[in-house]
Amino acid sequence: MQTLSGLNDSQWKAVCHTGAHLLIVAGPGTGKTHTITRRIAHMIPSLKPNQKVLAITFTNKAAQEMQGRLLALGVPLNKALVGTFHAFCLKLLRDHWQETALPKDFKVAIPQDIQGFDKAVLERIGLMKSTRLVIEGDNEYKTYQRYLRKNNWIDFDDILREALALLENEDIAHQVRACYRHIFVDEYQDTNIIQNALLKILTQEGTLLTAIGDPNQSIYGFRGGNVALFGRFKDDFPGVRELTLQENYRSASNLLAASCQVMGGLELLAKLDAKGKLVTHEAASDAAEADYVTSQIEKMVGGMDMLSARGAYRSLGDIAILYRLNAERHVIGQALEHLGIPYQVSQKVPKPAGYSDEAVLGQFEEELDYNVEKVSLLTLHAAKGLEFPVVFIIGCEAKLLPLDIHAMKGDPQEERRLFYVGMTRAREHLYLTRARRRQLFGQTWFNPPSPFLADIEEDLKVYENSKPRRGPRKSEEAEKQQLKLF
Amino acid sequence: MKFYADLHVHSKYSRATAKNLDLENLYVWAQLKGIHLVGTGDFVHPVWMKELEEKLEPAEEGLFKLKDKYAKSMDAQVPKACQAKVRFMLTVEISNIYKRLDKVRKVHNLIWSPSLEAAQKVQAKLGAIGNIKSDGRPILGLDSRDLLEIALEADPKNIFVPAHIWTPWFSALGSMGGFDSMKDCFADLTDHVFAVETGLSSDPLMNWRLKQLDPFILVSNSDAHSPSKLGREANIFDTEFSYSAIYQALFDQNDKGLVGTVEFFPEEGKYHYDGHRLCHVRWHPQETTKNKGLCSVCGKPVTVGVMARVEELADRQPGQKSKRHRPYWSAVPLPEVIGEARGVGPASKAVQEAYRKMLTQIGNEFYILLDAPIDQIRRLAGEVIAEGIDRMRKGEVKIAAGYDGEYGTVEIFKDGERQKIEQQLALF
Repeated sequence: MQTLSGLNDSQWKAVCHTGAHLLIVAGPGTGKTHTITRRIAHMIPSLKPNQKVLAITFTNKAAQEMQGRLLALGVPLNKALVGTFHAFCLKLLRDHWQETALPKDFKVAIPQDIQGFDKAVLERIGLMKSTRLVIEGDNEYKTYQRYLRKNNWIDFDDILREALALLENEDIAHQVRACYRHIFVDEYQDTNIIQNALLKILTQEGTLLTAIGDPNQSIYGFRGGNVALFGRFKDDFPGVRELTLQENYRSASNLLAASCQVMGGLELLAKLDAKGKLVTHEAASDAAEADYVTSQIEKMVGGMDMLSARGAYRSLGDIAILYRLNAERHVIGQALEHLGIPYQVSQKVPKPAGYSDEAVLGQFEEELDYNVEKVSLLTLHAAKGLEFPVVFIIGCEAKLLPLDIHAMKGDPQEERRLFYVGMTRAREHLYLTRARRRQLFGQTWFNPPSPFLADIEEDLKVYENSKPRRGPRKSEEAEKQQLKLF
Repeated sequence: MKFYADLHVHSKYSRATAKNLDLENLYVWAQLKGIHLVGTGDFVHPVWMKELEEKLEPAEEGLFKLKDKYAKSMDAQVPKACQAKVRFMLTVEISNIYKRLDKVRKVHNLIWSPSLEAAQKVQAKLGAIGNIKSDGRPILGLDSRDLLEIALEADPKNIFVPAHIWTPWFSALGSMGGFDSMKDCFADLTDHVFAVETGLSSDPLMNWRLKQLDPFILVSNSDAHSPSKLGREANIFDTEFSYSAIYQALFDQNDKGLVGTVEFFPEEGKYHYDGHRLCHVRWHPQETTKNKGLCSVCGKPVTVGVMARVEELADRQPGQKSKRHRPYWSAVPLPEVIGEARGVGPASKAVQEAYRKMLTQIGNEFYILLDAPIDQIRRLAGEVIAEGIDRMRKGEVKIAAGYDGEYGTVEIFKDGERQKIEQQLALF
């Protein structure tokens, strides 16, 4: 049977498991999507004509990809609803608007619609909406909700909260459960408690849940993602069977070993023969770091001029440059620009005028342009779910990793996971670079190396140091000139 | 009207080009070389495009001339004997780097445009998908086939020409970064390509050995990175002096508007043989085969040159001709011939003086190399130079073939031969 071929032992077990909820703990590169799509395809034949599978993905793009894969496996599109939590819940609200407190023509407001509220207030309300089931006695919240309702709006977070309220109607909950007998949730480590509550309602009356994810890749705590839900899974979904996928098919063995060391001795099995190459590089400044990165790119792509093609075998789309903060992008972007190396920064998907539900649902997603090959510049967050033969993580410095700079402070554990997510994007070459001196937010910072680097065994690292510069850079020259003025 | 055209050049805004590579100097050097129609190069570059808009004005249909106020100040640099009208055509080269069929491809392609509007459309489309401001020959991570589609969408009269198709690292059929066939490279749009550029390291004779190249007419250009390198190779047209006539001559299988091409001796090109420049290993393809393709110095695979690559893809015996074949004339740049005659380097002061003198007394370089009576050259430039040009025209030159980025070196006279010729002369 096609759905069972090309699976390793644990993947096979995951695909064939029946009769109870299932939690699949799947590390990076262990064939997560491969496994979940096979499992869906494997279950379709057991469904009755009026029954379906619900597959929940983390992004709309992931939903499209999954649909493509399911189609390729012969799953009829009417047997599987694939979409994000928000897409699914908005569909519920549209289908059953009469049972909600919403007007028929309610619209989902986008941030640009909201006028007259402080950004900080909106952020606080947003976090509250995704971390608390009940919100009481908060006046700002009440004012804001009244404002939305007056305009026939709900906001992005309300989609889930309104759906949850709708499902308290037992008739509707029953209908939904009767239709969706199997629910799949991808990236479970990034779900929040509202989503968790939705799943608890949907999985009564025998509907079974398959959750897949990796607690080590939970990086959305700052906006309500709750990795603790992973540990609570047994209590939330009694009778669950737990399986772990450990065989990594993505990263060369040295890179995988280093990534596991950063996570304090994780166990993942490298299935690739190649060792790969992990390079650490310390530059004098952010500009020198950018020079180093671009010179490496020129070397591996070649073709920037006629003589540098030797040994070059990479193409532009093979390469990603990752960073903790968008503010780090400026210097490296300029260096690439100057050399004429095509690059792209992941962009929020542009929203068409007179936006539809579909456009609204995609509004927070960043997307790369795949028609043209370019070097990808991404925040570590935006790199989630992607993979590249060559990855540079720049700014591997204390204060940036873990983040603790300019009134921004990340949770140290989540920062570590974020670094791990970045490292595990690389297939063959991983460069961890840092600068002794960096301009950020109008200040000069002198940061020691990120403490995460020390957790990687020395034997796995190759040190590459930049050639001394021939003359002072223009900017330094200009700096001197300026100093003379005083 | 018979005219010479060089349609692959660059501007000072391309990487590694001369600072004086501007319209004024192209105008001067086109006349010195005997070229009537020269490409603007780099029209996608915004600053260069501004210069084109400012300094050129429409002349014959689809062609442009340098405005008088810019041309006048340069005319003093052109000897009377070389003065001729010069026209420009809008051209650009794009460096495509992308992955196709699991291999990284690096292909250079030329786009020639019939009007400023067409060129600007190409510019706008490419500007929207990549960085066109840093390099006159921009690097785009775009499939060659998609670039062709963009060119045709911008204007169906745009002419798309795969550049120096045999260069190992950067071409449609190159050994390192190319494809095995034009069809693999351009897929469903292959029929919209009707001309290919042979490049310095191959001549038509070599290209005729591939049946797959039969539908394409062979063009030759200099790919000049400085004004003095104009016309290293060129096309000879005999047709109406207009873009449409040139389009027709390339597009129409039966049109005879393209008379033929002026060629480098292919051995003189940078990638004729195989080898490693840094290891000083220069191999005939047979030697490469003997060594299993591995360099005898460093042990790594050698750069496989054009000769070997043509042999690999050839499906005809040497000497057979394709249906669209045109005659060609092999030439060595005049300063090199003079240098050979004098036994000094082509860049030396003595050679440059003699070169100027010949241009002043005889005419432009193409005329001297290809057409001027040997007797006239002998009278004005001396016996050895005349003999050198005569030998060049007959193909009696010895060339240490170029390899791995190193130009080949021409030898017209053996040691002591120059003196002998001069002595013979002294007897009379």
